[in-house]
Formats: sequence, C-alpha cells, structure tokens
Amino acid sequence: MDATARLIELLGVDRVRTEPIDRMVYAKDSGVTAGEPAIVVLPETTAEVAAVVRIAAAFDMPIVARGAGTGLAGGAVACPGALLVVLTRMNQIVMVDEVGRTALVGPGLINLDLSHALVGRNLHFAPDPSSQQASTIGGNAATNAGGPHCLAEGSTVAHVLGVEVVSADGEILMLGGAAPDPPGYDLRGLMVGSEGTLGIVTQLLVRLTENPPQTVTMLIAFDDINDAARTGSDIIGAGLVPAALEMMDHEMIVAIENFVSAGLPVEADAVLLAEVVGHADGVAEEAGVIRSIAVRNRATDVRVASDEDERALLWKGRKSAFGAIAQAAPDYYLNDTVVPRTRFVDVLGEIYAIADRYGIRLMNVFHAGDGNLHPLVSYDASQPGMTDIVVEAAHEMVCVAVAAGGTLSGEHGIGLEKRDLMDQVFTDVDLDAQARISQAFDPARRMNPGKVLPDGARCFDRPSS
Amino acid sequence: MFRSAELVTALRSVTRELFERLRDETVDADAAYVVAPASIEEAAAVLAAAADAGIPTTFRGGGNRRQTGAPAAADLIVTTTRLASIIDWRPDDLTVIVGAGLPVDDLESEIAERSQTAVLPETAAGSTIGGVLAAGASGYRRLRYGPTRDRVLQVRMATGYGKVVTGGSPVVKSSTGYGMARLVTGSLGSLGLIGEVTLKLWSRPLAVSTVRVDDAAAAYRRTYRPLAVLETPDGASLYLGGSANQVAAQAVAIGGRASPNLAWPEPITDPVRVEMRVPAACVEEAIRWVQRIGATRWIAQHGVGIVSAGIDALDVAGVGAARAWAESVSGALVVLAGADDRIDPWGTPPPSIEIQRRIKAAFDPAGICNPSILPGRL
Ligand SMILES: Cc1cc2nc3c(=O)[nH]c(=O)nc-3n(C[C@H](O)[C@H](O)[C@H](O)COP(=O)(O)OP(=O)(O)OC[C@H]3O[C@@H](n4cnc5c(N)ncnc54)[C@H](O)[C@@H]3O)c2cc1C
Ligand SMILES: Cc1cc2nc3c(=O)[nH]c(=O)nc-3n(C[C@H](O)[C@H](O)[C@H](O)COP(=O)(O)OP(=O)(O)OC[C@H]3O[C@@H](n4cnc5c(N)ncnc54)[C@H](O)[C@@H]3O)c2cc1C
Repeated sequence: MDATARLIELLGVDRVRTEPIDRMVYAKDSGVTAGEPAIVVLPETTAEVAAVVRIAAAFDMPIVARGAGTGLAGGAVACPGALLVVLTRMNQIVMVDEVGRTALVGPGLINLDLSHALVGRNLHFAPDPSSQQASTIGGNAATNAGGPHCLAEGSTVAHVLGVEVVSADGEILMLGGAAPDPPGYDLRGLMVGSEGTLGIVTQLLVRLTENPPQTVTMLIAFDDINDAARTGSDIIGAGLVPAALEMMDHEMIVAIENFVSAGLPVEADAVLLAEVVGHADGVAEEAGVIRSIAVRNRATDVRVASDEDERALLWKGRKSAFGAIAQAAPDYYLNDTVVPRTRFVDVLGEIYAIADRYGIRLMNVFHAGDGNLHPLVSYDASQPGMTDIVVEAAHEMVCVAVAAGGTLSGEHGIGLEKRDLMDQVFTDVDLDAQARISQAFDPARRMNPGKVLPDGARCFDRPSS
Repeated sequence: MFRSAELVTALRSVTRELFERLRDETVDADAAYVVAPASIEEAAAVLAAAADAGIPTTFRGGGNRRQTGAPAAADLIVTTTRLASIIDWRPDDLTVIVGAGLPVDDLESEIAERSQTAVLPETAAGSTIGGVLAAGASGYRRLRYGPTRDRVLQVRMATGYGKVVTGGSPVVKSSTGYGMARLVTGSLGSLGLIGEVTLKLWSRPLAVSTVRVDDAAAAYRRTYRPLAVLETPDGASLYLGGSANQVAAQAVAIGGRASPNLAWPEPITDPVRVEMRVPAACVEEAIRWVQRIGATRWIAQHGVGIVSAGIDALDVAGVGAARAWAESVSGALVVLAGADDRIDPWGTPPPSIEIQRRIKAAFDPAGICNPSILPGRL
C-alpha cells in the first residue's frame, strides 16, 4: 500500500486530498511564496494526527502543519513531496474553567470564535491579531502571534499555558499545563513560536484574561508623522504601557476612508489610537497623561470614546485596514519588524526613504507601543519582476531595523520568507544552537523542514549523547 | 570523578594559564577550584576545557539555592561575581541589559530611580539575576505582570560545549527563531552559564497598598488585577498597585485594614522547604496539604497556584502523599531544600523526558553542567 492508500484507510477518502485542484488550493499562505503539497489530510482527532505522522514517517515524507493559512512568512507553504496536515477541523472548545481562567481548545479553533464563546463570562482571550476572524489559535501559537492588545498583555506565548503535541515520531505529549512552573525545561515555551518545526500542536490550554472594568479609547491626530512617532516613544518613556497603542500614516488613513467611512481625519499626516484599561480612577489619570504628552507633541485633535459604540467606531478604521489595502491594489506585501522604542522615529524615516528609492507605494499601520513596524507595500504582482523588487525593498527595511538594534519579526515569524535573513541577527554559533533544539525534537528533520533555520545552520559536529 | 589534588592537576594540564588567571581567591572553596570569569568568552573557554577533561561543574551567583535539585557534586565552581554590572539600562525603552551576577536588589534599587521595576522576586536578598533566571523563580507580583520568563527577552550564555550563544531578541516583542531565552530560564545551569540577560521592565505603580482580608479567594474575585494575593498562617492580604485614587477606591471596596506599602511576608528559611505548584483553582486544597505534612510556615499565592512551606523535618510518607495529590491535579511538589536520598526533589519526571534528555545532551554533551540537577536526574 502506498501512503495515500494508508491515509485513506485511516481518514476516509473525503479527508485525504490529492487532486491537482486541492493541491493548488493549499499551495499558498498569505505571503508571497508557494509550494504544492503531495497530499493534503484533514484529521479530526489527536489520535488521527499521531497516526498520520507515523504514516508519513514510514514513507519518509516531510510534514507541514497548517492552520488557516493566513501566515505571512510562508510557514505553512509545503516543501516538495510534503504531507500537509490541515488542522481546521480540530476546532472544538473542550472546556472553559471560569474559576481557573483557562480554556482547553483545539488548534483549529478560530481566534475570534473563542472570545465570542466567552461573551457574558467577563473573560476573553487576549491575543488579538488583526487576522483574528480567520487565523487559528494553533497558528497563533506556532507563530507567537501578536496584536494591538499584546502591548500590555504580551504575545501569544504569555497566554498558552500548555500544549498537547504530536511529536515527529508520532508520540502524543503534554507540555506545560495549568500548574505554574512545571519542573524541567520549558518545552511549551519552545513549542510556541516554533512554526510547526518541532511538532504538531493538537490541543492548547490557554489563559483567559479578565475583562477590564473600564476602557477609554483615544484617537489622536497629527500634522506630522514624526510628532506621532515621538508621542508613541514619549508615552512609553513616561513609563506608561497602555493596553494598545497603534499608529496609522496618511496613506493608510486615506485608503481606509475610501474603503469604509470610519470617520478618520483624512487631512492628518498620522493618527495614534491609544487605549487604556483598568479601574475607573486609574484609567482617567492615564488617559490624561497620554493627552498631555500628545498635546506637547503638537497633536491637532484628541477624540475620546468612553462607551462601547464610540469605541467600536474608533477601532473600525484600524480593523478595516487590511480590507482597505486589498481594495487599494491587487497585491500587498505586509512586512513585520521590531525596533527599540527609542529608535522608532529615525527608523520610520529610513523606511520611507527606502520606499521612495524603490518607487513603491508604502502605507504604515502598526503597533507603535512595542516598536513593531509593519511597513506595507501595495503593488501589482502581475507586473513582471515586481514581487522581487518589493521583497528586496522589504528586506532592506528589515535590515535597517536590525541595524537600529531591532529584530527580524515581531509576530509573523520567519518561515521561508525571512529564513535567509536569520544571519543578520544570529551568528553561525547561535544558529547552530537553535539547530540543536530542532534536532532534539525532530532528529529526522521531518517537521516543516527548510523553515525558520537556514540550510546548513548546524555548523558544528552533532553532539554525541 | 576528580577530587581536589587530582582535579587541580587535571585543570592545570588543560589550560593552566586560563584557570590561574580566573581563579577567585575571594570565594571559600568547598569545591577544589573556583573561577570567576570576567567575560562570557572566558566562561566559554573554561567550560570548553572542563568539558574536555570531563570535570563536573556548577555555577554560583549568590549561592542561595545550592540545595535545590540533586546537589551536584562539582569539582569546579564558576561564579558570576565578575559579570555583575548593569550593561545598558534604557529607561525610555523599558528594557535593561545586565550581567548575570548582578544582585537582584542592586538592579531594583538602581532602576527605582526612574520608578521602574524588573518585577524580580521581592524577598530574594543576595540572589543574583542569573540565579533567579536559572531557578526560573518569579516574584509575588507575577499575578499582575506574569512570570519572570515572560520578561527575559535575550540571553547570552556560555554553553556546556564551550561556545558563546545568544538566544532571543533584544526587543520587547519577537517571533524570530526559537524561544531560547525561555528554554534557558528555569534550566538550573544544566545547559551552561547564563552570562548576560536583557529584561523587559515595568513602571512601578504610583501608589500601593496592602489590605488585610478574611477570605483571600473571595476578595480576589472582586478586585481587578491586584499585584498579588497572599495567604499565610497569619492571615491573608491583597496587594494593590495603581494610581492613588484607584488604590484608595479599591481598598475601600475590599473593606479590609489597609497600609500604604507592600508588606511582603518574611521568606521561609526552615531547613526543609517544599513548594506545591498546582492549578490556581486548587490553592486552598494545597494549603490543607502543606498543613497536613506539618508545615510551620507557608505562603500561598492565590490566582497563581504556588504554596511554599517550611517544615521541621522531612516526613517522607506525608510528602509522598501530598506529591501524589499535586501530581493528580497535573501539578508538582518540589522539595526546594532538605531533600535527601529518600525523596526525589522533583517527583515523577515529565512525559517529555526523552526530548529533555536530548536537549541536555545537545547543550552539554560531556554532561558536566550541574549534573543530575534536573527532573529524571538529567
Ligand atoms: C490580513 C492579515 C492580518 C494579519 N495580522 C496579524 C497580526 O496582527 N498579528 C500577527 O501576529 N499576525 C498577523 N497576521 C499573520 C497571521 O494571521 C498569523 O501569523 C497567524 O497566527 C497564522 O495563523 P494561521 O492559523 O493562519 O496559521 P498558518 O498560516 O496556517 O500557519 C502559520 C505557521 O504555523 C504553523 N502551524 C499552524 N498550525 C499549527 C499547529 N497546529 N501545530 C504546529 N504548527 C502549526 C504552520 O506550519 C506555519 O508555520 C495577519 C495576516 C493577515 C493575512
Ligand atoms: C521568597 C523566595 C524564596 C525562595 N526560596 C527558595 C528555596 O527555599 N530554595 C531554593 O532553592 N530556591 C528558592 N527560591 C528561588 C530563588 O530565587 C533562588 O534560590 C535564588 O534566586 C538563587 O539566586 P542565587 O544568585 O543565590 O543563585 P545560586 O544559589 O548561586 O544558584 C542557584 C542555581 O542556579 C545556578 N546558577 C546560578 N547562577 C547561574 C548562572 N549565571 N547561569 C547558570 N546557572 C546559574 C546554580 O548552579 C544553582 O543551581 C526562592 C525565591 C524566593 C523569591
């Protein structure tokens, strides 16, 4: 029996896809790379995932895990001959513990579906990537996803207490759990952010966050983007860490207003969206500090929303950004890089200069509070060579951020697209150390090979054990 | 295994000059040899030589936690006393880079100048940042700010195979490669020496308060994000932080006796110390268990799930029963101090022990770094 026959025997013909059309459907994530899998499977249980992994091992097939395919780094793009394991059918909410503030969920559960299921319980799942209507919690964990509210709450890793994993040899392991500080190495902390290269996550125990008693959202407009950037830096410099601190530049504001009427000030050069949460008295004071910092930096308008409807309106623009971009040009390249928060004004300037030099259209919508820049290029990929130019410009922007003491990715991950930039931030010795980790989990190099670590990362002899 | 005279001969033959230069005369050596490297590169050279010669090695910061885990019978001690400075404090970025040998209190008092905190353990006088990270220890304020590991952004270490490795990223948010900084945090020196770390900082709240309450769990449920909720045999307290108005309003709402400071309990110093680590919802039951095994003093962290306790003498059967319960609720009972041959400090090894073993072998192929300190005697 060949691999396909074995898989059909396990999952039934409906959940094993090998037709060209299926392979094409799953050939891309939301980035710019592509690769067709040999076989696509749709398991529904952990036991099925484990059996699938064992079959792949028996036939020496590489395995690529996939959630919703909203990734922007090519992490879920198949390598040649790969078995693509699509986890979207494992989307159950197994348990919600309101007292312990945890939930046990399947990896295919869509991020926003969890928070919807929690309505009325005064709890929510804090990581809120802009893709939260589509991306899966398994994918969020695999990329250590961020979102506007990860500024104060931390990225996904701070919200994943435990993961059930199918290892490269088909074993089912629980890493971490509801109890704090489990003895031994923090393998949970390694699994999160490992982009499917250390195993397949088949269940997650996530931490739930209490809803704040009070939320104040502010939209602050500026005539000069540098004033907005400085306001962002100054807020952090004052020791304030708001719940969210997002920035949009003029191009972005205009694109959004053309797409939905969110009431953004189209004449502004940039806006900051700041949100403070907490106890009513504390929130008012923090909002006051933010306002005075903004005014000192020549803010032209400060709009404050305190009820739900007003808040929703202020966020509507931010949340519509990607829809707006999709409408503005046929294709876009969404970059992701981080700089120290003190360097953010200069780096932003350099990024605009790179865009000018390449003659490409740049928009910016990003997480100002944690220095996580998302320079976004909209372009037409049907123009020959255009994608290459855009990717080259994007890489230059990342290198500028790295030179300023930053790093390659704040939340989208490395995948394929930034793999060959890893040597910008890590030495050969550092990369070798990371390769040792991957080797410890996956000696046969079966899980998502060719992602995250550049070829030849293991530059020293394999340790004898 | 080497002992004194033999060891010194072995060391000298390996890299005599190196070891002599780094030899630390200030530390009273209960092992044969103590060295104090002044750079991570020197530490890596020491470890390379120790690995070559197969010399069991341990690391020392403040020396407060020497008992934990199976005490490694080490012939070489590498201390971090010369890796003890604040390398780069960036108050406007809310980050700091420090040498691992820096005492926790020194860092906290320095950055308090700009009203910042690294949220390191509050009552760990004499502990170093490297020691706290190696132990994976967190302060009580983890309830509000999360555990220490969430703030370890980047680590530079000397590995057991004698190389200087940087893991993690120097910024507050990253999805760039594996979570090496998370792996190293809590690894108890079993992978090598932590030399330098980048930490994320928070602002200290403008006002704080400690409010005595009768029912910790109930008061916690009614209070938005206290800094900590602790219970001891002397009673329970909520620790609040925020603006002056907020803290005052919260204290009134809770309705207990409030004092305008953070009155942390005295650390437990009994010769035998255990720590229950259980799901937060099981704290009250864990308190009953430590009482049952004869705890004279204990500190329970509500909302977190840790109950640490001091006992006069190790009751092996009692601790075994308490451990069985803790493990049955997917937690653990760790014997922090006073463990002996009759009881394993960690309990049942985790199901991922095979992968853990491979990681240990990958970073410490000669098995010289704090040998057998980890669960499963890795
Ligand atoms: C419009 C748009 C906006 C976005 N905004 C944000 C944002 O604000 N913040 C942010 O962080 N990201 C953002 N992203 C990127 C993307 O949504 C995230 O990376 C998301 O976490 C990916 O989830 P997914 O389910 O789509 O995963 P996929 O794209 O399917 O996979 C991503 C990676 O995770 C691995 N993986 C998936 N599931 C598992 C599993 N169960 N076990 C092991 N490995 C697995 C894959 O192998 C791959 O390496 C955005 C993307 C788009 C298109
Ligand atoms: C209130 C409180 C009570 C505590 N009680 C206990 C207790 O009872 N028992 C206990 O064991 N811990 C306890 N801890 C944990 C405590 O944080 C650590 O013991 C302490 O931080 C150790 O710091 P140190 O500098 O004294 O480390 P040391 O005691 O010198 O070393 C601790 C361990 O880490 C290793 N190590 C030290 N520095 C490094 C480095 N730079 N790189 C790699 N490895 C290193 C050592 O080899 C050793 O295994 C407690 C913490 C708190 C906050």
